[in-house]
Amino acid sequence: MTEQSPRAALSRRALMGAGAGLASAAALGWPRGPALAAPTTLRAAISGYNVINTLDPAVAALIPEYYVIWSLYNGLLKLDAQMRPVPDLAESVTVAGDGQIEFKLRQGVKFHDGSVLTSDDVKFTLERLLDEATKSPNRSKVSAISQIDLPDAQTVRLRTSAPFAPLLTFLSNARTGTQILPRKAFMADPAGFGRKPIGTGAYRLRSWEPNQALKLSAFADYFGGAPRIPEVEIPLIAEETSGVTALLGKQVDITSTAPFADIPALEKRTDIKVMKQPGLNTRFLSLNNRKPPFDDVHFRRAVSLAINRDVLVRVVLFGEGVATPGLIPPSLTAAYDPAPKPLSTFNAARAKEELAKSKYGPGTKGTILTWGSGWWKRTAEVVLAQVNQVLGTQLNVEVTEANTVFARIRAGDYQAGTWGWLGMIDPDEYSYDLLHSEGWRNFAGYSNPKLDALLVQARQELDPAKRGTLYRQSEALWIDDMPVIPLFCSNIHNLLAGNASGFTQLPYSNFGDQFASMSLG
Amino acid sequence: MGSTTLRRGLRRAGILLLTLVTGALLVFLAMKAAPGDPALSALGENARPELVAAFRRDHGLDLPLWQQFWAWISGALTGDFGRSLTLAGGVPVGSLIANRLPVTAFIGLYALLLAAAISLVAGTIAALQRGKAADTALTSLAVLGVSMPDFWLGYVLVFFLALNFPIFPSYGFVSPVDSFTGALLSGFLPALAIAAPMAAVFARVLRAALLDVMHRPYVQVARSIGHSGKFVFVHTILRNALIPYVTIIGLQVRYLLGGVVVIERVFGIPGLGSLMVDGAFGRDYPVIQACALTFLVIVLMTNLAVDLLCTRLDPKARA
Repeated sequence: MTEQSPRAALSRRALMGAGAGLASAAALGWPRGPALAAPTTLRAAISGYNVINTLDPAVAALIPEYYVIWSLYNGLLKLDAQMRPVPDLAESVTVAGDGQIEFKLRQGVKFHDGSVLTSDDVKFTLERLLDEATKSPNRSKVSAISQIDLPDAQTVRLRTSAPFAPLLTFLSNARTGTQILPRKAFMADPAGFGRKPIGTGAYRLRSWEPNQALKLSAFADYFGGAPRIPEVEIPLIAEETSGVTALLGKQVDITSTAPFADIPALEKRTDIKVMKQPGLNTRFLSLNNRKPPFDDVHFRRAVSLAINRDVLVRVVLFGEGVATPGLIPPSLTAAYDPAPKPLSTFNAARAKEELAKSKYGPGTKGTILTWGSGWWKRTAEVVLAQVNQVLGTQLNVEVTEANTVFARIRAGDYQAGTWGWLGMIDPDEYSYDLLHSEGWRNFAGYSNPKLDALLVQARQELDPAKRGTLYRQSEALWIDDMPVIPLFCSNIHNLLAGNASGFTQLPYSNFGDQFASMSLG
Repeated sequence: MGSTTLRRGLRRAGILLLTLVTGALLVFLAMKAAPGDPALSALGENARPELVAAFRRDHGLDLPLWQQFWAWISGALTGDFGRSLTLAGGVPVGSLIANRLPVTAFIGLYALLLAAAISLVAGTIAALQRGKAADTALTSLAVLGVSMPDFWLGYVLVFFLALNFPIFPSYGFVSPVDSFTGALLSGFLPALAIAAPMAAVFARVLRAALLDVMHRPYVQVARSIGHSGKFVFVHTILRNALIPYVTIIGLQVRYLLGGVVVIERVFGIPGLGSLMVDGAFGRDYPVIQACALTFLVIVLMTNLAVDLLCTRLDPKARA
């Protein structure tokens, strides 16, 4: 029995010691650890994601990978605030009458390893993207290129097999994979390049803790002049809500996203800034046109007519978005058609008329796939409540996770599901890919020869105004068949600490490309 | 005696290994049975079907299940846990685990210490003040503690102690390797969020055990011998009540690990729990399996430690 008493005493002592230690630590205040550095460091949090597998633009696929890539590399072009391609590594672009495009490169641009950019690096980058063995998700963005000529070290000439209007947009520093790499440095260690990236960007990678944080430092020889802030720390914050608390608690200076539900409250605060605008995204109800009940056009139309999209935007997005009549988002102004379309506008009477024409009546059962516990799930639930109420159907919701939903939609193992795309920068991606009978994102199984012809014509039309008209026509055409049910386009957000400035937000959710122009205090 | 101990030890080790392999197999099968595809996580939503197929081929995901399991378990037995598929493309899982285990161990022990400290005080007071206001208050608090989801408590703590009264950081974690006080401070809110529900359970168990022991005949005997009230409490009552208390602490380690998984993600702590959550979302099989195996080892080791400790505390069990 006595042998136990020192143990009891020890635990009491340990307990008191621990308490005292905490109290003194609290009194001393928070030590300025790596998470809270001096204003010479920009703490730019990627929120809502924490996976970065590679920083090699050719094989990068995830949005957070691009957030960082945009700060490390440049494209031949970049997008201005109106989403127009403007010179970046290329000083000038000339499109000849025969469709040949000539790029004159900027003089004396240096890569992070000190080597000088030449036209050969551009050729290398494009050829690597075109090579099937690279397995780039962005190969199709450049697959129209049939010939690359290099008259001299500063000139690149491209020829395409057929006119391909989106090409210049796809050669910009966005979610494109066409950022320019140094041939020599890449060939020295092809397998390791994704972890030790070398670009021409304003910042270079200093360290990288998987799933946790990356550190960048300013590239003194950057052709645009050395950036103002010498260091950037990028914490990867999986939970969007934690990103907000990190910013409010002054642990970070900017976030890459913010939860819709928090925006109204955050906008009232004076100690932080909320930046927002309609984003480049489209959110819709994906329908399996090969399976009942969505194999019937009248049923699809009835469901679309039974959805009040403005209510959806209010209750699901807390007003942070706009109801969209079609799939092309409003930020693509040349191609967007703001005119409401009767079939994608709430109309209960017409919805019932369509249901009466359908081979499926009230009481029809069906399942909408969705995931998580956030606004995607709420989207499905609100849609379901509206449709069941108007049509008397018995649709239900199956909640799983995004990966599962995507796998099942791709495999055709679904009836309906909430889905969407974001960060795509050309109307072709929102139309051809989604609705052309050979479009690779056409999971609905939709096929309309008239639309196919129109979309091919649109991607070949080099005149922006004419091209925009073609896309407007295409939206009016497919909406009659309602192969997918467009819902809304959501806003994009960045939260900035009170002392952070110099961030220009672009609709494709840009991020790292703005570090160089930012300042603190 | 010696050979019995040896036989007992060997049997224990055998059961341990069997449990580990069975556990690993179950986790493997559960993950494979769940729909979803690591290729879609790694390659993103822009992945073309041909790229998805290539990814699956490259990582042996198209092989028969038994071959995949064999490849993994034979590697794991030699200490090679494979490479991450979707979280940190190509990084060895062993090094991910090695980097993160100390962080989780720190937060877990921190939470356990907090829970033990709170419950020792609260449980003892409640037992000694049985039926009085302090008991009612502490018991009610315990019910509240058990009922509160830990992630919610985490956000509430952040709201009050990091945003309203900026004492603790609202996000992030300083590794104990870099700064021990920094780790204590940045780990306090997450540890408390995990500790609260555990402390509630511990305190209730301790209170019940103390009350049960207090009225046993041997306590009256000890008192009648003339030992002081304090001596009797520490040496007779508390010591006997510690057996169910220590047992429940051991059992709660499982819930502790559950709490760690959620709380690490909320606070952005680079531990095993957040790694496992990310692994599960990303269908990163090697990562999930290695994390699950590590957790399983921790639980089994804790059970073993509790058994041994209870044997030491209880002379009857030593026989």
